[in-house]
Amino acid sequence: MGRARLLAALTAAARRSTADRTLIACQRGGQTTLRFAHGRFHQTFHAESLDVWVKVACGGRVGVAATNALSPEALRRAVQAAIAIAQVGGRRRLAAMPAAAGDRPAPLMTHRPETVARPITETIATLATMWRRAERDGDALAGSFTAGEEELAVAGSEGVARYQPFTVAGVKIVATHGGRATGYAAATSRDLARLDLHAVAEQAVQLARANARPRTLPLGRYDVLLEPDAVAELLEWLGYIAFGAKAFAERTSPLAGRLGDRLMHETVSISDDALHPQGLAMPFDYEGVPTQRVALIERGVASGVVFDTAYGALYHRRSTGHGMPYDESEGPLPTHLTISAGTTPRAAMERLLGDGLVIHRFHYVNGLLDTRRALMTGLTRDGTFLVRRGQRVGAVKNLRFTEPILEAFSRVAALSRERRLIADPGSGLGGCLVPAMLIRNFTFTGTTQ
Amino acid sequence: MTPPTIAALLHDTVAGLARRRVDYADVRWERQQHEALIVQNGAVGHLATSLSEGCAIRALVRGAWGYAAASRLSGPGLGATAARAVEMAHACAVVQRERVPFPARPPQRGSYRTPLEVDPFTVELQKKLEYLQWANRELRDHDAIRTAMTSLEFYRTEKHLCSTEGADLQQEIVESGAAMEALAALDGEIQRRSYPMGNGVCLAQAGYEYVKALDLVGHAPRVRREAVALLRATACPAEVTTVILMPDQLALQLHESCGHAVELDRVLGQELSFAGGSFLDPAARGRFRYGSRLVNITADASCPRGVGTFGYDDEGVPAQTTPIVRDGLHVGFLSSRESAARVGLSSTGAMRADGWNAMPLVRMTNVNLEPGGSSLKALIAGTRRGVLLATNKSWSIDDQRLNFQFGTEIGWEIRRGTLGAVLKNPVYTGITPTFWGSCRGVAGPSEWRLYGVPNCAKGEPVQIMHTGHGAAPALFTRVQIGARR
Repeated sequence: MGRARLLAALTAAARRSTADRTLIACQRGGQTTLRFAHGRFHQTFHAESLDVWVKVACGGRVGVAATNALSPEALRRAVQAAIAIAQVGGRRRLAAMPAAAGDRPAPLMTHRPETVARPITETIATLATMWRRAERDGDALAGSFTAGEEELAVAGSEGVARYQPFTVAGVKIVATHGGRATGYAAATSRDLARLDLHAVAEQAVQLARANARPRTLPLGRYDVLLEPDAVAELLEWLGYIAFGAKAFAERTSPLAGRLGDRLMHETVSISDDALHPQGLAMPFDYEGVPTQRVALIERGVASGVVFDTAYGALYHRRSTGHGMPYDESEGPLPTHLTISAGTTPRAAMERLLGDGLVIHRFHYVNGLLDTRRALMTGLTRDGTFLVRRGQRVGAVKNLRFTEPILEAFSRVAALSRERRLIADPGSGLGGCLVPAMLIRNFTFTGTTQ
Repeated sequence: MTPPTIAALLHDTVAGLARRRVDYADVRWERQQHEALIVQNGAVGHLATSLSEGCAIRALVRGAWGYAAASRLSGPGLGATAARAVEMAHACAVVQRERVPFPARPPQRGSYRTPLEVDPFTVELQKKLEYLQWANRELRDHDAIRTAMTSLEFYRTEKHLCSTEGADLQQEIVESGAAMEALAALDGEIQRRSYPMGNGVCLAQAGYEYVKALDLVGHAPRVRREAVALLRATACPAEVTTVILMPDQLALQLHESCGHAVELDRVLGQELSFAGGSFLDPAARGRFRYGSRLVNITADASCPRGVGTFGYDDEGVPAQTTPIVRDGLHVGFLSSRESAARVGLSSTGAMRADGWNAMPLVRMTNVNLEPGGSSLKALIAGTRRGVLLATNKSWSIDDQRLNFQFGTEIGWEIRRGTLGAVLKNPVYTGITPTFWGSCRGVAGPSEWRLYGVPNCAKGEPVQIMHTGHGAAPALFTRVQIGARR
């Protein structure tokens, strides 16, 4: 739709509003997804999306309405619905809204026209070639390819007017070797030209082949080398339970009451950085507030959490640019988590591991067991390998871990120099940028059959 | 029901697709209205309403699928969306080596509407807030309660599906739900108790009468007391013992270890790159022992008040009641027209999309454990040593749906047939067929409860579906509780 038309529509609706203050955000776009398994596409679709969120303040009360139409009449109705909600009686919490437009967001290049210009027939042909090659070699591929574009715009009665276009493309592949052994690889980028589909498939196939004939391992504690996909699973859960202002305010976060305390090993620094050039950058949030890099853990010490305007007001702080869509009730959350790189080349880490396990990926992690300790459980998946004296000696059956992650991150022995972006192309506006991580004495409490 | 202008557009679009000589096509219009209210510590924490409307078109051309969705509800808009679906199908047909099996069905014409007493969208917001405030006051009436949250949610989903086979189906589904959660804190310890279940709103396909019947105000003192009691409770021990699960935990146990495992698209490997596969094998259907002889599980899309209840699924198949486990043997799957045909079965009518811009997937309907002949009292009385666990807090299961671990909000020890001390942070773990195989008792119909889970994630991009699960308290022997070290 473009900057001028989209901002004009939102600004006109915000200015016509009779509320004390009105803010309107719109996210619209289209995404093509190809899902495949067993040498055929089972889901192939192009879906448009359009979401409009309206937040108004009337006499200190806030109302929220959402719609999926952009006509002046549809926007007027949404504003009226939000005003009607704001006028319903009752004391409010979290009623603060952004004041007049403040700092300008950093200029970012987040839209690559070629990502959505490539004909889908080309990608379909490429994927089919990959399947056939894999089949000839006795492997099977399943997975998905996604490419799309979005626009995010925010306009308000106080003069805020933000617009940013985005593209994102990604591929995920699970290779199966010999009918049972699986390997996973994935890549996501704003630029389709940077995705090497064949390389991703090859990586998954190699992993699947190495994962054949897994042995059963006794339960207990093992030193582990977590690859970036596995690290990102744990970090996303930490983001949800620990680093948002809502969990902090409700004291379920392990950081509540512990800012300034050492919670992890001093080599671990975690931040949320939506401006990082290696991530899926985002210049402002759904309130139009410029995104900031926020230090969450600095050299192992609890440093902060992320805020939107409403939670910022609770703590007499400015928003850090982490406002979510207005109909969300989870509060501000970090969506661009990073762990600082270490100094050890990834290639040297298995030697450093000595005896232990290399884990490529976790499955179905849950971090709600005891959030104050960040106690989590989950299973390994698609490639877990036993290492003896720094050499891989074979695959092991999937294992369940149950581990307080703050304590585990206190036993970090090394972080890789290289980092990888782990992001779901289906969401497109976030991700984790993480190194591989070597942790001593990780606890395994179950095994699969 | 569907506005006449929309119905005419859908019929025109189907006629246009038929003229393109597709093998099959369907056009699905959806409009969803949603309202959410949260009161936290006596103040309104969140109050929002939303409306979303659009159309999805699915086309089968030369044996390959294409799908497109858009919110432009005009003749040219739907025409462009239809052209995109057909174009996508053509592109896939070029590389497809076999035609998608999609058996024809007799055209269905009909409608379905949620039976309800009070349309929740006609109840004034002020009245709803006053109800939440009242329950919230009761819930936080103790110094240790740091966060008291009460909430309501309502959905109205209108659908109209037309197909080139002649299907013409209208549905209007209304869901109502409520939740209550108390967070108690003392000396750095935080404990949570919830009602009617953990992790969010419990939904039912019903009107406002459902949230009134849940009686948040009446349950608030018990929830508050139990949250406070957990602060001083003993930690759940690690041992192998007898476990009695209450229905609000069995709902998640059914969901994760049975419901997902019997989705035939998963079984066929279509979810490998995201959610994983399944340990169940279509070739062993009718012979594989899933549980003890007391275990009978049914996928029932006609269950009163179930959020997995409907008239027709999103490819026009009428709602069905499907036996999944009978006397402990695995006998059935949840399936679509295509997935069922791939294993020589008929669709069980489980294709559902979570909105107008999502493609239907095989989803759970209401996956229920049938009641048995015992009672909670008898199950407890017959247990010499064990634990009673209630209300789901955490969930995790492997990609084949075998190795699971669940945490519950609360537990009680059982000693010599009597409930004893409260236990905090309970977890239990097992392997699906072994666990269900250890079922030694299921309470009867009077203790059977139905829950509506609002957050079942599946597919890429992720779709969030509402699924129903009913159960009565059940007893399992030789279960590992606590984390093995």
